[in-house]
Amino acid sequence: MNSDQLKSGDSDDLEALFDSIAEQRVWDNDTPEPQPAAVAASVPAASAADSMPAAQANDSVESSGGFDLSPSGDEPNDVFHRVGTLTRKLHDALRELGYDKKVEDVVGSLPDARARLNYIANLTGQAAEKVLATVENSQRMNDDLAEQARSMDAQWDRLYNNEMSLEEFKAHAQQSRDFVKRVASHTNAMGGQLTDIMMAQDFHDLTGQVVNKITTMAQGLEEQLVQLLLDTTPPDQRKQMEETWLNGPVINAEGRTDVCANQSQVDDLLESLGF
Amino acid sequence: MNPEDLKILIVDDFSTMRRIVRNLLKEIGYNNADEAEDGAVALSKLKAGSFNFVVSDLNMPNMNGFELLQNIRSDPGLKHLPVLLVTAEAKKEDIVTAAQMGANGYIVKPFTKATLEEKLTKIVAKMSV
Repeated sequence: MNSDQLKSGDSDDLEALFDSIAEQRVWDNDTPEPQPAAVAASVPAASAADSMPAAQANDSVESSGGFDLSPSGDEPNDVFHRVGTLTRKLHDALRELGYDKKVEDVVGSLPDARARLNYIANLTGQAAEKVLATVENSQRMNDDLAEQARSMDAQWDRLYNNEMSLEEFKAHAQQSRDFVKRVASHTNAMGGQLTDIMMAQDFHDLTGQVVNKITTMAQGLEEQLVQLLLDTTPPDQRKQMEETWLNGPVINAEGRTDVCANQSQVDDLLESLGF
Repeated sequence: MNPEDLKILIVDDFSTMRRIVRNLLKEIGYNNADEAEDGAVALSKLKAGSFNFVVSDLNMPNMNGFELLQNIRSDPGLKHLPVLLVTAEAKKEDIVTAAQMGANGYIVKPFTKATLEEKLTKIVAKMSV
């Protein structure tokens, strides 16, 4: 059984694999503890008559002890241990390259990045709410003044058309006076509201500074990861890797079909497109 | 000195913030202001022009607020210039450093018009003494 078969998504293969493992298992009621998985050792085959349906075999795998899981060719444990060994080797390699701390630092900065993004979302949201509320207030006052002005205007028309009695004129005079005071008060308040709306734009500065910090952090993360990727690439693939990740001028166009190696190729390409 | 005569330099790398400060100063009564986007540009403008007051941020590229303040205080022609810092940095050590370096005031963002007016008035009052 090799790892390729284990990777297969084909359920027939998986079932066959499972059955083959199940058949190799030794049923032993006298040894309650499953022995630790061992490397290849010959296996007394389970009696053919005992071949169980896959479902039942599955149950027995999940229940504890009672049978010996150690024999050679015990694939699940073998794979498990291989993965574990690889993980240990990767971790050691990272440590030797000095990356484990760097990766740790970089990953540690991610919650900070999340917090900063939340801060930006909150700040911009608050600024928007504040501005909208202020605008609504201002609009009410503005509408109020507009309506009063319309009414005043109509009254003045009547006055100039000699349609007003003396009593009406006195009332009109009082209304005009009130109107002027109201204009003074409303324009004062609205001026203050305009200042508030202006001040609310300070979110741009505050969020901008935080955005810069996150950008720097992301750049640092990218650099670390690219460097790690380059350092762990086998030597024969490293040059190609560097060209892919570091971009910049095309150093070696040989064999590449996705880039133009010189201006003449660029011109040919453009010409073929009709330029 | 008449408020109208005060020539103020506003230093911040965010143009929206410079605009806000400029508008506020105008509302308070100071209508003679110029702008700089970092400490380096600010320093050259200060050396060239006849400014009476500096309002500056701390976090800026090229030359930050502390460096600008240091350069102002060590230049014989500029060392008496009042400097009001307006910054998002609220750490105590920054505030202490600013005071020790000779800043005349320190405002933390986000700030209100009232705060700016209060600090500005206080510093200007000491200028005429």
